[in-house]
Amino acid sequence: MESDSTAIIQIENIAKVYEMGEEQVHALRDVSLTINGNEYIALMGPSGSGKSTLMNMLGCLDTPSSGSYLFKGENVSEMSDDDLAEIRNREIGFVFQTFNLLPRASALQNVELPLVYSGMSKRDRLDRAADALHRVGLDNRMDHRPNELSGGQRQRVAIARALVTDPAIILADEPTGNLDSRTGQDIMGLFDELWKAGNTIILVTHEEDIARHAHRIVRLRDGKVESDTENAHAPLV
Amino acid sequence: MLRWSELGESFRIAVEALRLNLMRSILTTAGVVVGVVLVVVMGWTIKGLDAVWEQTISIIGRDMLYIDKWNWAGGGNWRNMEARRNITLRQATLLKDRMESAEVVIPLARRWSSTVQYGSKSVSCSVQGTTYEYGSTPAGTTEIGRWYSESEDLQGDRVVVLGYGVAQAVFEDSNPTNAIVKIAGYPFRVIGVVEKRGFIFMDFIDNQVFIPLRTFQGVYGFYDRSFSIAVKAGNERLLEIVRDEAVGHMRDIRNVAPDANADFSVNEMEAFDAQVTTIRSSIWIVGIGLTVLAFIVGSIGIMNIMFVSVAERTKEIGVRKAIGARRSSILTQFLIESALLCMVGAVIALPISQGIVTAARAIAIGPLELEWVSVVSPYIPVDLLAIAIGVSILVGLAAGFLPARRAATLDPVEALRYD
Repeated sequence: MESDSTAIIQIENIAKVYEMGEEQVHALRDVSLTINGNEYIALMGPSGSGKSTLMNMLGCLDTPSSGSYLFKGENVSEMSDDDLAEIRNREIGFVFQTFNLLPRASALQNVELPLVYSGMSKRDRLDRAADALHRVGLDNRMDHRPNELSGGQRQRVAIARALVTDPAIILADEPTGNLDSRTGQDIMGLFDELWKAGNTIILVTHEEDIARHAHRIVRLRDGKVESDTENAHAPLV
Repeated sequence: MLRWSELGESFRIAVEALRLNLMRSILTTAGVVVGVVLVVVMGWTIKGLDAVWEQTISIIGRDMLYIDKWNWAGGGNWRNMEARRNITLRQATLLKDRMESAEVVIPLARRWSSTVQYGSKSVSCSVQGTTYEYGSTPAGTTEIGRWYSESEDLQGDRVVVLGYGVAQAVFEDSNPTNAIVKIAGYPFRVIGVVEKRGFIFMDFIDNQVFIPLRTFQGVYGFYDRSFSIAVKAGNERLLEIVRDEAVGHMRDIRNVAPDANADFSVNEMEAFDAQVTTIRSSIWIVGIGLTVLAFIVGSIGIMNIMFVSVAERTKEIGVRKAIGARRSSILTQFLIESALLCMVGAVIALPISQGIVTAARAIAIGPLELEWVSVVSPYIPVDLLAIAIGVSILVGLAAGFLPARRAATLDPVEALRYD
């Protein structure tokens, strides 16, 4: 499949500075990055490289200290908390290392949650949540609570929750970090399928064999982009 | 703007959070429970007081007024009243002849301290000398026997109608009619007993006896005695007209100059309402004070537990924010939880309040033998119930505001990192 050439994310010269008492910590320095539709990118780097900060930035959980961030042409740097919440709700699907499902809600209720915050009617929510669970292969686990599911199944629920709003990007932070390697491979297979189906995927990982699934690998070090390369080893379509 | 879908979700979460920490929730609401119980029980007490008072008034008669040298409710200058000329029987008779709007006008002579003797028993009481017509007023309704007749009245027979309290004290539960008692050393035949009229207030009105006016004259004399004149309007709405007419005639009869103050008082039951109002306000002030205190203590407890709840669910708040919950969504979620928590308190308080009310009433009527309490409702009033629930919801919202705002303004990045 060919890359969609429209830019979803355009970051130019962004920096993030944290005040730690007297000291200033430069988590990101002068980072520029463009991500197009239906890209499959891995964001790599050791701890302290600014990888998490960049991920928070991309996920609109945080705003840069300087530089510009355009998301589908909209300037995210100047948005209010509530505008950011809307963007996250509509355009970004998060998948976390620790799944972050609500423990007392069923799989279906967990998946439905983003639609609750977008104000969709109950019936539409349930339809779409059931559809998303179907896409991750959990049709028969909808009424189960997270503690009644295996790790892999929980991550599938989390992926369904990320998919349910039909977001512009799926942002996965170490999605296999809490899974055994076989289950991890299954989950990566799922991401591969989602990419094939037209989704844009950003993986944040420090594991080379996970990053290998992506078609482009961005490496960070000391808050800067160290390299940004095509991944020749990516599985062929 | 808040969305309906979020509101539903907020309720679901709140109910779940309360259920999950049921014991903690119930203990937390203790302050609110006390507050609501106080409001409801206090309200019930005041309503009971009103009911008892209304009962008393209706038995004496809201359509009655008493023209007297003295102001019964205690207003005015005592020395000035002392200096007033007596109201004579002749003035009373003149008023009776001239009054057109009143149903009946009755002169009353009173002897405050006297005793009724029967065998070895001696009971102090006041003696009223009045006409046979008094028997037709609510205050003269007999429970046992009858009032004296016109002929007994005119002949000055030695017959007596006992007040309920006097009859109880002398004869207990046996029938006193035709018994011969001694009043001021003279033998009197008991012909009737007036029904019980005094409740907690005005208990003294059961502690009097009634004899014909002429008999009174024979026993105590009319010299240097100021009469009361009872005027029955016949209808509460006519009271004002009757009062105006009576005052006009009395000023004329007593030659009061047009620009001078009247040298007599017109006593109405309404005047006593002021005293009841004072009692009511005292209960309210004490009650409200205690209630506010309880709600303050209660809201501190609620606020504290809500802060705990926010801290416990920091990660969850982070997740919700990440997937698109706005500040208002999170704020609402915790406010609803806090309000529900208080409502739980109110709900717990209701059976407790009813229990207290039922027990208090049963004890008063039973072991304490306060019969008059039976006019007080055995149920907690519905309007107070609604107010109590409403107030507790408001307290919940107020107490939950700071914790909810803390939750709403959490940085999603920090919250997600929280363990």
